[in-house]
Amino acid sequence: MACVTSPDPRPRVVAGPADDGLVEGRRCTACGEVAAFAWPACPACGGPVEPARFGPEGTVWSATVVRIPVPGRTPPYGLAYVDLDGGPRVLAHTGGPVPIGARVRLVPAGGTDDVTVEVIR
Amino acid sequence: MRVGIEGVGTSHFGRQPGADLVDLAFTAVDEAFRAAGGPRSVDAVWAGTVFGPAGVAQRVLRAMGLTGMPVLTVENACASGTTAFAEACEAVRSGRYGRVLALGIERMGDGAITPEATDPEGRSGLALPALYAMAAARWLHEGRVTPEQLAAVSVKNHAHALHNPRAQYAGRYTVEEVLASRMIADPLTLLQCCPTSDGAAAAIVGPAAPGRVAVRSVALRSGAPWNHRSPHVWGHDLVRDTAAAAFAAAGVGPDEVDVAEVHDAFTIGEVVTTEALGLAGPGEGGKAAATGRTALGGEQPVNPSGGLLSRGHPLGATGLAQLAEIVWQLRGEAGGRQVDGARIGLVETMGGGVSVLDGNACVVAVLEAP
Repeated sequence: MACVTSPDPRPRVVAGPADDGLVEGRRCTACGEVAAFAWPACPACGGPVEPARFGPEGTVWSATVVRIPVPGRTPPYGLAYVDLDGGPRVLAHTGGPVPIGARVRLVPAGGTDDVTVEVIR
Repeated sequence: MRVGIEGVGTSHFGRQPGADLVDLAFTAVDEAFRAAGGPRSVDAVWAGTVFGPAGVAQRVLRAMGLTGMPVLTVENACASGTTAFAEACEAVRSGRYGRVLALGIERMGDGAITPEATDPEGRSGLALPALYAMAAARWLHEGRVTPEQLAAVSVKNHAHALHNPRAQYAGRYTVEEVLASRMIADPLTLLQCCPTSDGAAAAIVGPAAPGRVAVRSVALRSGAPWNHRSPHVWGHDLVRDTAAAAFAAAGVGPDEVDVAEVHDAFTIGEVVTTEALGLAGPGEGGKAAATGRTALGGEQPVNPSGGLLSRGHPLGATGLAQLAEIVWQLRGEAGGRQVDGARIGLVETMGGGVSVLDGNACVVAVLEAP
C-alpha cells in the first residue's frame, strides 16, 4: 500500500463480549455525538470526548463490491457502511456482496487492520 | 463592486501524456485573454489543483510571462477550480484586485484515484467510485431512482458531448449498453464513471460591464459531518445548503435556471445533485434525465458540455471548464449544444475524500447573460 509511514487512521477494533469485536471510539460529553475514532474533540460540536466502545452488531446502510484495482487491495472486495447499534456509521469490509438492511457483527480484530463484518441474519 | 467574466478558455480534455502542463495551461489562458481583449496581464492569480506538484502554478505561469504578482494555489478536491474562481470573484468584488485570473490545472495518474492513505476510509480501500456506488445502491434500495434512470444520465451526457470538440469521450449509447458495460463498483458500470483526464481551464474575472457575463453569486462551503444521523446520501445536504446560499445571494430560484453544469463524476452524482439543487423534486432527478427534461432541447438542460462523464475530469480544471461552458452558453457561443435564449446559468462542483464529512467542498455559482 502506498504511503503507510503515517499512523494508521482506521478505527481500532478490540475484542468483544463473545467471539466478535467492538470499535473503540469516542462519545461527546457535551452533545452525545459518537465517533468511531479517537479524535481529540467532537466532530459535530467541538466538545470534549470520552472513550466509548460500539458494536458488536449493526445494520448495513449501503454496500458495494469494488471491482477495479486499488493499490494494496485485490479486487473484487466488498465494502459497506454499517450503522453500529447505538453507535456511529463505520466503513467495513464484507468479503462479498451483502444486502442493505442486513444485520451484521464485527469480526474480532486480528489478521487485518480493516474493520470487518459478517452477516448474522 | 459587481463582478463579471471578461473571458474564458480551456485546453482539450483527455489523456494527454505527451502534453506539458505548461502547454495545456497556456492554451486555456491564451484563449481567455483573447476572449477578454485588453492587456495580457492580471493583478493576481488563484490556481486550483489537487495533485500539484508543488509550485505548479508559478511554473506554468512564468512560462507565459505572468510573474511578479500574488499567486495563490488552492486545493478543494474536485471543487478546486471553482474554489479558485470563487476567491477570484471575491477579490474583485471587495476591491482588493481589479482583474484576476482563475486557473485550473491537473494531470491525473492512470486509472482511479489512489485512496488517500492518511484518511481512515481511504486506508480501508474506499476508492471514490465505491463511495458514489453506495449512494446509488442506497437510492436504488429506497426506490428513489432506477438502474435505467441512472444509465439515462450517461446516455444523455455522452450524446451532449457529440457537439463538444473539447470532450474526451462522446457517443450514442443505449441504456442497455451503459448497464452492460464493465462493472466498476456495484451498481455503477464503466460508462457511469468519469474518465481519467489531463487538462486546464481559465477565466479572467473583472468588474461587471456591458457585454460581459455577470456573476450574480458564488457560494462556497465544506461539509458538515455525514454519519448515521444523516437523512440523505453522501453529498446531498452539502449541495443543497451551498445552493441555498447561492440562490439567496443571487435573488433567483432554481426554476429560473436555464442551463446548468453540475458535478456528474458518476451518474448518481447528477441525479443527487439535480435534486439537491432543486432543479428536480425529491425522487425526480433520475426521471428528469430519462424523460429528456434535463437534455438539450428539454426544459432545463443539465451538462450540455457532456459533463464530467464525457468531457473528462482533470480535478483542478473541472470547475473552470464547467464555468467556461456556462459562459459560452450565456453568450450564445456554444455551437451545436447551445441552449436557446439561456439567460441564467448555474455551475455546481463538489469534491470529497475526507471520511465522516458530507464533502470536502462545494461551490455553486449563478451567472447571468450579458
